[in-house]
Amino acid sequence: MALTITCPICGKRNGYEFKFGGEERGPRPDEKDLTPEAWCDYVHMNNCVAGVQKEWWFHRDGCGSWFTIHRDTTTNFEVEKAEAEK
Amino acid sequence: MMNRLNNLATLQIDSSRKISFIFRGKRYYGLEGDTIATALYSNGIRIFARSLKYHRPRGLYSLDGECSNTCMEVDGIPNVRCENTLLKDAMEIKEQNVKGSLENDKMSVIDKMDWMMPAGFYYNTMHKPAKIWPIAMKQIRKVAGLGTLSPDFKMTGKYDEIFPTTDVCVIGGGPAGMSAALSAAGKGLRVILLESRPVLGGFFEYRLKEYKEGQSFHERARELAAQVEEAENIRVFTHASMIGAYNNNLITGFQIGRESDCFDERYIEIRAQSVIVATGCIERPLLFENNERPGIMQTGCALRMAHTYGLLPGKEAVFSIGHDLGLETAISLYDLGLKISCVADIRREGQDSELVAQLRERNIELLKGSVATMAHGAKQVNKVTIATVNGTASQDYNCDLLVASAGLTPVTSAITVVRGRLKYDDHTGYFLPDQMPEKMHATGRVLGLDNALAIESSGRLAGLQAAFDCKACSIAEIGEAENELEKLPGPTQGTKLVIAPVKGRKSFICFDEDTTIKNINQAIDKGFDVPELIKRFTSAGTGPGQGGIPGHNLPLYVAQYQKLPSISIRSTTVRPPIVPTLLSTYAGTNHAMFKRTPMDEMQREDGGVFRNIGVWQRARYFSNDFSCKAEIENVRSNVGILDGSTLGKFRISGPDAVKALERVFVSDMSKIKEGRVKYSAMCNDDGCVIDDGIIVKQGENDFYFTTSTGRAGSTIEWIRYHTRYDGWDFHMVNLTDSMGVINLSGPNARKVLEKIVDIDISNEAFGFSEYREFKIKDTISVRAMRLGFVGELSYELHVPSSYMKSVWLMLNEAGKEFNIRNFGVEAQNVLRMEKCHIILGQESEQRTNLLDVGLGFLWDRNKPKAKTVGAVALRQAESDQTRLKLVGFKMENSGRAPRDGSLIVDEKVRGYICTARDSFTLKEGVGMALVEGDLTKIGTRLEIYEDECGDDRIYGKVVQMPLYDPEGTRMKM
Ligand SMILES: [Zn+2]
Repeated sequence: MALTITCPICGKRNGYEFKFGGEERGPRPDEKDLTPEAWCDYVHMNNCVAGVQKEWWFHRDGCGSWFTIHRDTTTNFEVEKAEAEK
Repeated sequence: MMNRLNNLATLQIDSSRKISFIFRGKRYYGLEGDTIATALYSNGIRIFARSLKYHRPRGLYSLDGECSNTCMEVDGIPNVRCENTLLKDAMEIKEQNVKGSLENDKMSVIDKMDWMMPAGFYYNTMHKPAKIWPIAMKQIRKVAGLGTLSPDFKMTGKYDEIFPTTDVCVIGGGPAGMSAALSAAGKGLRVILLESRPVLGGFFEYRLKEYKEGQSFHERARELAAQVEEAENIRVFTHASMIGAYNNNLITGFQIGRESDCFDERYIEIRAQSVIVATGCIERPLLFENNERPGIMQTGCALRMAHTYGLLPGKEAVFSIGHDLGLETAISLYDLGLKISCVADIRREGQDSELVAQLRERNIELLKGSVATMAHGAKQVNKVTIATVNGTASQDYNCDLLVASAGLTPVTSAITVVRGRLKYDDHTGYFLPDQMPEKMHATGRVLGLDNALAIESSGRLAGLQAAFDCKACSIAEIGEAENELEKLPGPTQGTKLVIAPVKGRKSFICFDEDTTIKNINQAIDKGFDVPELIKRFTSAGTGPGQGGIPGHNLPLYVAQYQKLPSISIRSTTVRPPIVPTLLSTYAGTNHAMFKRTPMDEMQREDGGVFRNIGVWQRARYFSNDFSCKAEIENVRSNVGILDGSTLGKFRISGPDAVKALERVFVSDMSKIKEGRVKYSAMCNDDGCVIDDGIIVKQGENDFYFTTSTGRAGSTIEWIRYHTRYDGWDFHMVNLTDSMGVINLSGPNARKVLEKIVDIDISNEAFGFSEYREFKIKDTISVRAMRLGFVGELSYELHVPSSYMKSVWLMLNEAGKEFNIRNFGVEAQNVLRMEKCHIILGQESEQRTNLLDVGLGFLWDRNKPKAKTVGAVALRQAESDQTRLKLVGFKMENSGRAPRDGSLIVDEKVRGYICTARDSFTLKEGVGMALVEGDLTKIGTRLEIYEDECGDDRIYGKVVQMPLYDPEGTRMKM
């Protein structure tokens, strides 16, 4: 509830306007030679980081774009990209 | 009714305006401005409630609702805090937790059996042997909990919600809060000021003592309040309590409306750049035997009763206090006519010499280093034992009022809920802010200040600190403000006494949960060593008052009992909602919003019966015959017209549009021919089917597609999500609201349509599954498709919303000679069910995949490069025999159709009915069901269990799909 999210187009807005899109885990894997386990991991397994994680958000009540932010899951505060990748 | 004091500047009541109310079935009167509690008090009511466990009598104690003492049932709502609720005309008020009457509670005998119920009584006893628990539980449930809610109670009233954004949010409208608001507003910032009482003024408001020459504290409060109210950029919410604070400076609260407001209560959620906590102090309850007997109240309560409500709270009083505010109260109340037997002050020294002199002038006995040890009187206090703080000498005083308070303690919940840290301060005996959360500033009495000028100065400083957070103030200005504050008196020394020299069997540390000092000792002796655990084991501070009464006493007492150094004292955690809040306030207004299609008005005129379906209102029936016989037969034999405007409608275009479509639709999109309709479906990553619709090509790299009604809102999000890594060049437009859809169905559909269009629509020119774009009367662009959802010759016309009415009228005019008529969503549902065309969500649930519903033929397995959503999972599910599959069935022996959702059973549940109806067309009960794999063979007997059918089963038989017109000739004619 207390979350604010910075949309690259609209700026810092109330968290209510956004929909969560899960952890960042890279593009869809190639289907060739993909094992069921690897696929299941890609779709369903989360890292559940206690700390800064890169994640996807959708600006549903706004511009309608998908983007990533870095968020500290223990405080719900956004973290600057540079700081997150230290 | 008691006589009220008149001519006090501080009064908030209007003695010319009486308000009548009902208490325990009898009519009473209060005055405008009264709370329920003060109105009852003025009518001689002294016992307001019976306590949770021991049914002890409870009375007015703090006036700010920090305990459940004055919780009552008001207009059917239990646990209303009467001291915070303004009296309104015709309120119906009842007592709670009473067997008999408040004066004679049959359960009060439990009070004598407290020795049977030590701390953790329930934890220790009721679970062994295990079979005793169900019996014990029933008994406990009868006595547990405060207040009852009638099962057929309907909440009335208006509940609103607002979500303001501001630069600075100030919590607390006392002198510090108002000064802070003014100084932040002076920097051009927008300020929101929350005050929990009905008027601004806080600690100054109700005091008539001199603030400076010629001005009382009350007058100073009014002066500040006038400045606040004048300031254009300060928005004031009075009678508004904070209920939560969160990081990112989100503050939640609720406001109680006045008679003139458009709401009874409203939820407030404030997003601020910077927050100022100016919540002041409450009093720390004094612990002694029977410390909660009616007739005992805190100093602020006694003073506000007189000054704010004009009620002298007793005739003959004893004071046992630990702070100068107690002396000031004694003097003020004496001057108003209260007889005072003595004032016992915990402090041996350190009293304000002027106040001491004033007591002496009035011949009021001041006993330094003394404290009340026991209150006497069965239902109301009639005598008090006063002893020296070390318990050596004691003396009894008769009285009907005992004003008792150990001292003050800052209200810090706004800081601790955001994980700010407090530190015990030896000098004041307070928990003071140590580490403040980011962009949050404490001010005034929260910092331990009690000099009036220092409180205001500290407020101005906090206002500048908040302005600095908003980049509207310089460091130098803050430095100046800090210097100004440093020259003023700092915090004075506070009392450390936690408990009078008593054993504590009847010394209540928590009123809500009836927790005594003895209970705390028992918990510590059992090995619970930290306040957080002791709180849980004894439930002290877990009641409606959220630790308002035990809050800071509990950690202080625990430290004293364990002989811990004061540095290690930690206060317990509070959590939102800090103040009890109605769920209806959180819920806010029910706006009952829905969308209407362009045909809404016309269908209502035609007698449509509307239902909410998803976000829409749709015509479900066109008569009171909800079996829709006439509507269905008309489509099968003649021609019907349906409003399908709720369908999701989208345009997707651009060089990579095909790639995007192939990513989400299971079919091969590269082969869509111009002028043809492609039917396809979308799956999620588990292969579960989430949507179906048609796609048509309207130009090079330019497509138009539909989705089901329910998915329209999330389609763009879905497609963008699943292409988010690809950087593809395509564009989407949601046309759902800008386009309407008319479905013209039935064997006579062509005869109707050809009358209003100029193009050849014969079966040869515009065949089944084809797509045409044309104009009606050279003006109205129409996208027409020949589909067969209901299993008859059908035209689906997609028309700009603004032209929908015109086309609708033209078709109805053209169809007049055939007796064209409306059909609604239910008729369509039966028609398509007979044809075994599925509706997702009806013939599928969360786990149903594309193959389960027999749509596997849509899936093109030869496009792995497209990485179609769901393809991997579908490949894995192909060999899975354990899944529920869709079958068609008809009922045995011409039996009636089962209700939707009924179960298919044998020894266990084997599936369920999706949709089933008594079909007029087929003249028997038919339907579709999802069943386990071994039940899918044609001819399999299905045993159907309907809700509450007992042992009566009905039976069906699996048959070939579709049930109606298996060759599909009718929709292709
Ligand atoms: Zn945005």
